[in-house]
Amino acid sequence: MSQIGAESYEQIMAGVAADPRMDRDNVSAPAGAAASLSRLLLGAGAAGLAITLVGGFVLGAQHALASYVVAVGAVLAASLGALCMLMIFHLVNAGWVATTRRQFENLASLAPVALLLMLPALLIDLVVTKGALWEWMNPEAAANDFLIGQKAAYLNPVRLLVFFVLYFALWGGVSHRLRALSVEQDRTGDRFLTMKARFMSAWALPLTALTVAFAGFDYFMSIQPHFFSTMWGVYIFAGGVCAAVAIVILTFCFLQFVGRMQGLVTPEHYHDLGKLLFAFCCFWAYIGFSQYFLIWYANIPEETFWMLERTTGAWRGTAIFLAVGHFGIPFFFLMPRTVKRRPLFIGIGAAWVLFMHVIDYVWIVRPVLHHGGHAPTPASWWLDIAAIVGVFGIFFGLYVIRLGSVSLTPMRDPKLPEALKHKNYV
Amino acid sequence: MVITDLLADYAPFLFSRKAKYATEAGEPIWGVMAQFDDVVNAYHAAEKMRDAGFKHWDLHAPFPIHGIEEAMGIKRTILPFIVLGAMFTGVAVAAGMQWWITAVDYTGFTVQGKPYGAWQPFAMIIFEIGVLFSAFASLFGMLMLNGLPRWNHPLFCKDRFLDSSDDKFFVVVEARDPSFNPEQTSRFLREIGATAVELVEDA
Amino acid sequence: MTSFHPDKVTAERLTGNKASTGPQGPPRDDGTLLEDPSVRSPLVLNNRSLHDVTEIVCGYAENPPGKWWLPLFMFTATVAGIGTLMILYLLITGVGVWGLNNQVGWAWDITNFVFWIGIGHAGTLISAILCLFKQKWRTAVNRSAEAMTIFAVICAGIFPGIHVGRVWFIWYVFPIPNSNAIWPNFRSPLLWDVFAVSTYATVSLLFWFMGMIPDFATLRDRADKRLRAGSGLSKLSVQCPITGIKFFSLPFSADGVRALVYGFLALGWRGSSRHWHRYEAAYLILAGVATPLVLSVHSIVSFDFATSVIPGWHTTIFPPYFVAGAIFGGFAMVLFLLIPAREIFPNFKDILTLRHLENMAKIILVTGMMVGFAYAMEFFIAWYGGNKFEVEVFINRATGPYWWAYWTMIFCNVVTPQVFWKRSMRTSPLAIWTVALFVTVGMWFERFVIIVSSLHRAFLPGEWHMFFPTAVDILTFVGSCGIFLTLFLLFLRFLPIFPLAEIKAVMPQGDPHGHSDDHDQSDKNNAEGGH
Repeated sequence: MSQIGAESYEQIMAGVAADPRMDRDNVSAPAGAAASLSRLLLGAGAAGLAITLVGGFVLGAQHALASYVVAVGAVLAASLGALCMLMIFHLVNAGWVATTRRQFENLASLAPVALLLMLPALLIDLVVTKGALWEWMNPEAAANDFLIGQKAAYLNPVRLLVFFVLYFALWGGVSHRLRALSVEQDRTGDRFLTMKARFMSAWALPLTALTVAFAGFDYFMSIQPHFFSTMWGVYIFAGGVCAAVAIVILTFCFLQFVGRMQGLVTPEHYHDLGKLLFAFCCFWAYIGFSQYFLIWYANIPEETFWMLERTTGAWRGTAIFLAVGHFGIPFFFLMPRTVKRRPLFIGIGAAWVLFMHVIDYVWIVRPVLHHGGHAPTPASWWLDIAAIVGVFGIFFGLYVIRLGSVSLTPMRDPKLPEALKHKNYV
Repeated sequence: MVITDLLADYAPFLFSRKAKYATEAGEPIWGVMAQFDDVVNAYHAAEKMRDAGFKHWDLHAPFPIHGIEEAMGIKRTILPFIVLGAMFTGVAVAAGMQWWITAVDYTGFTVQGKPYGAWQPFAMIIFEIGVLFSAFASLFGMLMLNGLPRWNHPLFCKDRFLDSSDDKFFVVVEARDPSFNPEQTSRFLREIGATAVELVEDA
Repeated sequence: MTSFHPDKVTAERLTGNKASTGPQGPPRDDGTLLEDPSVRSPLVLNNRSLHDVTEIVCGYAENPPGKWWLPLFMFTATVAGIGTLMILYLLITGVGVWGLNNQVGWAWDITNFVFWIGIGHAGTLISAILCLFKQKWRTAVNRSAEAMTIFAVICAGIFPGIHVGRVWFIWYVFPIPNSNAIWPNFRSPLLWDVFAVSTYATVSLLFWFMGMIPDFATLRDRADKRLRAGSGLSKLSVQCPITGIKFFSLPFSADGVRALVYGFLALGWRGSSRHWHRYEAAYLILAGVATPLVLSVHSIVSFDFATSVIPGWHTTIFPPYFVAGAIFGGFAMVLFLLIPAREIFPNFKDILTLRHLENMAKIILVTGMMVGFAYAMEFFIAWYGGNKFEVEVFINRATGPYWWAYWTMIFCNVVTPQVFWKRSMRTSPLAIWTVALFVTVGMWFERFVIIVSSLHRAFLPGEWHMFFPTAVDILTFVGSCGIFLTLFLLFLRFLPIFPLAEIKAVMPQGDPHGHSDDHDQSDKNNAEGGH
């Protein structure tokens, strides 16, 4: 009961399949170009990582690790943001998103890869450099530092690695499965796979929320083990979604530039993606401001030290740049309707937000090198750039491979008729 | 809108518009209205009205019809800019008020060692007042642009028009439209599918 | 096929086929509960026409609501009266009539304030956020939720007003130049509260009123129509509610009053499409500014606590945690009120379908888990932060003298919503209503736990005091419930409780493109998209 007959469904989907926009050429990445692009990106990535490694010997392990964690943090948060959005789309039965969802799937499925990229840094700091970046990883830290000793039940290598495996299993399993279900639907046309994805999202989303928060504690908050904030997980999530939406928008801008996805991603879709980007920039600002403000106002030394390092002295400028660049500029730039509806403008906005997302992680991680307000030496930024090029090269190289391996849009999603007709009234 | 039109709208007992046409009973004609019974017909009628080049005409409907802006050729409203202006005003008022009171006029009142002019505690009220001003601007700006409130209108005198807030749709052409002619316009409205056409007297 | 299935209409509408004009069958209650990803559930059941919807919704405001209304109204009004007397007693005597003591200087008053303001948030959430997210199902609940917002904010406003003790000095919170040359302290969270709550009340009122303008016009036109037809002219009379004996006649008819009052409120709305265009733009902008407003108001309420240095209060997750809790509690209250209304009013179920209830149950489940996430984070970070006092406060919450309040909160807010994982629970009005009741109780206890359990034990054991409410405490809270319900009953009786215009716009009959002849339209879209 309560379903439309298989026959009429077949008829509808035949209409979708016959739609000129669903043409094979339009929905697959240009194979040769994708392959060479991914080779280029992976090559640049490998070079960047090699330079980072060299930088570790030149400028010190702590600097190299910090720069590397900045880059990995940015892509990890972005892929987790994509995973969360993907599950939310499934849960709320979103229709308009059907033609764009595949890119969220591709990006989310790289969450375990981004997590694996974190592993070398963790292992190096645990085994080789002994707490150069994550202070608590030094075996003597717990004995020398009262607070770290207090937290030893949480801040210890065994727990860290066990949680790492849990995160990997959960994010890897869920993101892989959600993408596989969608790809399988392309093949079989079974509309009830959508229901499977929805059920899976229902139980996986709360778990993802918890693991994102704890991953945030593990990899970023515990860099300064004295610092603590209950808001931390939400902050990581908010920034991650901004970056994820920005990456997806940029992907479509590129794809349409090379003549793919014509008519599948219309100004209406850009408009809605732009609204998401706008909304999450505001949400990020709300979370970031609340966190800053409560620490500033209560003025308790046990937590203000973290904000002081980042909002006064050498890092004050970065903090202001972050507030203006991650919120102020996108807020006014993305507000007009016309901007959200033009691929060129929204692409510029998305690229800017992605850039600011990286700055966010610079702001979180890098000041640890400058305890006591010492200014960073401008000459050392080459190491950060190398690490970012390295990690982004690897990550986006794999992203392009993902992109090319399946069609660019779900082919037989039951929500396609709706997404193809999508229109913003008012 | 010309000022005389405005006066005629709001003070019809003082000013009357010079009517080009009159009914057989000698009443000045305000316009003509045509009833459509469902939204699809009304939508297509709107498209035809737009293509026929009418200027002072309207489609009255019990709910906002999706896409009617395109069908009628309505330009986007300037309301967002009014609201944006109100938002900036609110932000400036709130910021100026708090800063002047706290950092200029009433210093010597230290709270938790916070600087007098610290921006952080002002952010909340700046935001709230900005929102308050925008909300007022969006409701009252909308009413202003719509020429509301206006409790009297010639259309309200037509019994049939009372269904426009229930389930009927009315295309209305005003007599001040340059291409208005009682007979021709009525005929045109019938041709595009009106189920009933009536002349509306000025009131 | 003789029986007419409402799902089919929607299915065909969405796929561009012509809607069936076949004979209508018997009403189906569960027509919305389909699980087919290619189909959206109909929002109005039983193939109602636009006119039917007008009749149903306006009928609630125009016809006497049945024998239950007046006794219930009298009861809630009496309760409200008792609450008012308690407030009067407080004002005459002083805050000593409450159970506050040196240590617990904030207890039920602020608990009630946060409780009511939280309930108020669901209204704007449903209206504004769901509007931005284009969740069309909001049309069935937004009007009553907005009404609830206004009434809850009224209740909320009472408590901070009276808890200052000397109410006649409350105007000091406003920045009014005065002969003492005193200005309010803009660095105090309590002052932000004043601005936030009054802004919120104003914007909610504007939002609510704006939504009702077209519906007032409908009510006006209907009354006018009856007057013109001569059927609405019989004069009103005052009669004994029990025996029905007529005391005297009034010099006006009910429809005359309606035409006048609704007509005044409708501001001369005449449904012009040019007006609708600006109206929709304004509505969207209002939704756009109301959404961050909802978040900000409850965040600012949370700042009352979180900016302090009291263990258990100072934690950075408070703003989003309070917002999630507000949505949670507010949705519970909406369901708590609308499920009985759905049973009592005729044809209510056609507009507020099981699918709507299921959606709201899902939101309860999600926000319940968000609140649970915040509880867990607070506990973890209390330990992780390494602050002894913070840890003690949390252990004291769970095992101290207020353990029962803590575990009531956990049970009601985190455990009971978990039944909604099961579909049969999400679609059973009785089960939803029961959970909503639990959640409402649990959310009150949440505020109580946060406020009282953090205050009753300060840093020195010599400062430890328990809080015991007095009868005045309890009756004031009960009285505020009376005020809330009284206002809600008046709303159900006299105002359009569903947004007529919005419902019509999302019905199949209101879709100008829903029929087979919109090919040129979609082709145009293609051309536009292919750049």
